[in-house]
Amino acid sequence: MRVIVPIKQIRDPRGVKADPRRQQVTLEEAELVINPTDRNALEEALVLKDKLGAKVTVISIGGPEVEDSIREAWACGADEGILLSDELLAKADFRGAALALAKAIQKLGDFDLIIAGAMAADTCQGQLGPRLAAALDIPCVNDVYRILEVSGGKARVIRGWDEKFLEVEVELPAVLCIAPGANVPRLPHGARIMNSYQWEMPVWKASDLGLSEEDLRPGVEERGLSFPPERVRGRVSRGSPEDLARELVSFLRERHLI
Amino acid sequence: MDFTLSEEHQMFRSMFRDFAQKEVAPLAQTTDHEEKPPLEILKKMAEQGFLGATFPEKYGGSELDNLGYCFLMEEMAGACMSTALTLHVHLGLAGNTILREGTEAQKEKYLPDMAEGTKLGAFALTEPEAGSDAAAIRTVAVKKGDEYILTGNKLWVTNAGIADIFIVFAKTDPQAGARGISAFIVEKSFPGFKVGRRERLLGLRGVVCNPIYLEECRVPAENLLGQEGEGFKIAMRALDYARLGTAAMCLGLAEAALREGSRYATERSQFGGPIALKQAIQNYVAESAIKIEALRHLVEYTAWLADKGERFTKEAAMAKAFGGEIVRWVADRMLQVHGGYGYMREYTIERIYRDARALSIIEGTTEIQRFIVASDIFSGYGLKIKP
Ligand SMILES: Cc1cc2nc3c(=O)[nH]c(=O)nc-3n(C[C@H](O)[C@H](O)[C@H](O)COP(=O)(O)OP(=O)(O)OC[C@H]3O[C@@H](n4cnc5c(N)ncnc54)[C@H](O)[C@@H]3O)c2cc1C
Repeated sequence: MRVIVPIKQIRDPRGVKADPRRQQVTLEEAELVINPTDRNALEEALVLKDKLGAKVTVISIGGPEVEDSIREAWACGADEGILLSDELLAKADFRGAALALAKAIQKLGDFDLIIAGAMAADTCQGQLGPRLAAALDIPCVNDVYRILEVSGGKARVIRGWDEKFLEVEVELPAVLCIAPGANVPRLPHGARIMNSYQWEMPVWKASDLGLSEEDLRPGVEERGLSFPPERVRGRVSRGSPEDLARELVSFLRERHLI
Repeated sequence: MDFTLSEEHQMFRSMFRDFAQKEVAPLAQTTDHEEKPPLEILKKMAEQGFLGATFPEKYGGSELDNLGYCFLMEEMAGACMSTALTLHVHLGLAGNTILREGTEAQKEKYLPDMAEGTKLGAFALTEPEAGSDAAAIRTVAVKKGDEYILTGNKLWVTNAGIADIFIVFAKTDPQAGARGISAFIVEKSFPGFKVGRRERLLGLRGVVCNPIYLEECRVPAENLLGQEGEGFKIAMRALDYARLGTAAMCLGLAEAALREGSRYATERSQFGGPIALKQAIQNYVAESAIKIEALRHLVEYTAWLADKGERFTKEAAMAKAFGGEIVRWVADRMLQVHGGYGYMREYTIERIYRDARALSIIEGTTEIQRFIVASDIFSGYGLKIKP
């Protein structure tokens, strides 16, 4: 059984500084970390490794610095890691990244599951999993909270659905997008950290994946960043329930909300 | 010169930090207030590979070097000093001493269990009449057939109430002074081994510290650590390495104090604004940060010396002396920043203040560290000084 976990290296959101007055975001001081939800995805894959002996392959896209994150995933227990890296890939947008990952996964051969994080904490787009499924023409289950069972070419999972939970079954191979906080990801183990730089990491270029500049040309153009408007302070009202209800209704009416 | 850390060190450090924040810090106040030994955390530490971190892989470790060990201690102490010291005595003092001095058979017998956490370690040197003057211990070990019979009392044995494996120092030749001391690996289950009542401490309230009584305790001869008469050297070597770890704990605890104080200063308002705007407060914060940064460099430099296999006795003593003093200084000033709230048990700084006090006593007092530094200096002039 082979499980593939695409991971993204991001700037730790806790270290990102925002200055609304100057309309400036400082990223550089924040540490480079594995996207938190990708850690949740990796954890699900590692549980399958512990339970069913799945082989866990981690793939990521980015510059040489991304190697550290792949090695960290290895130290957590992944069996192998591949870095997709060159100038063409560096320019790719969501579509290009999903395409490159899909090509890399096809190049790897057979697989049973792709377990991805439902969302990256930096861009919050949640596009990768579904795009990957589309590119590979396999089913995708989003917002997965728990993997109940993987057997007989199927997976049973619990996913979020309209503020409820829903148990669904999906045929393999499939993409599962793990919800943020679905589990408590393990930390890398000391003995593995010690050896995490001892193995050769394959680095694949766009040309290794049969992708041209044309294939990876971004479809989205970034025009700049702006801050959301500052939030207006709320208003606290006190009084009897009847008065409060009346006040609330007239407040909502004033704003044409009801 | 290059201050860059290796990738492995960076990964270790961020793993230690994550673990400290997620698993250790949330339990620190209960560990202290309820005087509970941090056994649950130790179990998790075992899973994470901390309890034998410095051992080779074949004994269940990850071959963490001295610098890595300092990171471990710094992060744990920053979250909970009681937990950090419990780990330090188990691994840094007991485990590493067996690793450094033990025979292959002794290492195979004890280290894997210690790494798994099924057996915890302790280090018993101090006695009622022999603290700083460790060579004056009175516990004796008499060889009878293939056993040693140990008789004597040990005081302030950290972890005694929860440990299974004790490094015990006793005199095999009571007439020979320091050269008559030998080291033994003593198991709790050996006949004649007793653990006394737990001591009540000012701080470090999660630490289980008891006296132990050796009443004709029978220790198999194969449990002699090193050779007869080498015990004092073994103890001093163990303390050199341990002091480095303790200096790193001072660093972590001082950093935690500074974090508490700085945050409080920005949140507390008096005279119409945060007290952080007052120069007196700024000076406390700045001076603390300066001392902490100086300590960090001393600790990391000493670890670097140790990892290169060079002599580091003097530097470890300096780091331990300096660390023990600045952590008290910083804790005191940061408590001052908290005003009356700092004196309340609900506030972390109150615990840090109490915990910090022990660090210039354990593993050799500040005065003894200064003696070590001075004796090293004067030996360069051909003068041998005595404590
Ligand atoms: C919480 C805690 C945990 C401990 N854990 C352990 C443990 O696990 N194992 C263990 O073996 N011990 C342990 N100890 C004991 C500790 O190592 C001793 O307390 C320490 O070495 C000092 O010895 P003492 O208390 O007998 O003080 P003393 O040696 O009696 O010293 C009293 C004072 O005199 C000063 N002094 C002594 N000699 C000189 C000198 N030559 N020059 C100048 N000043 C001097 C000292 O610095 C000190 O200020 C622990 C102690 C504490 C408080």
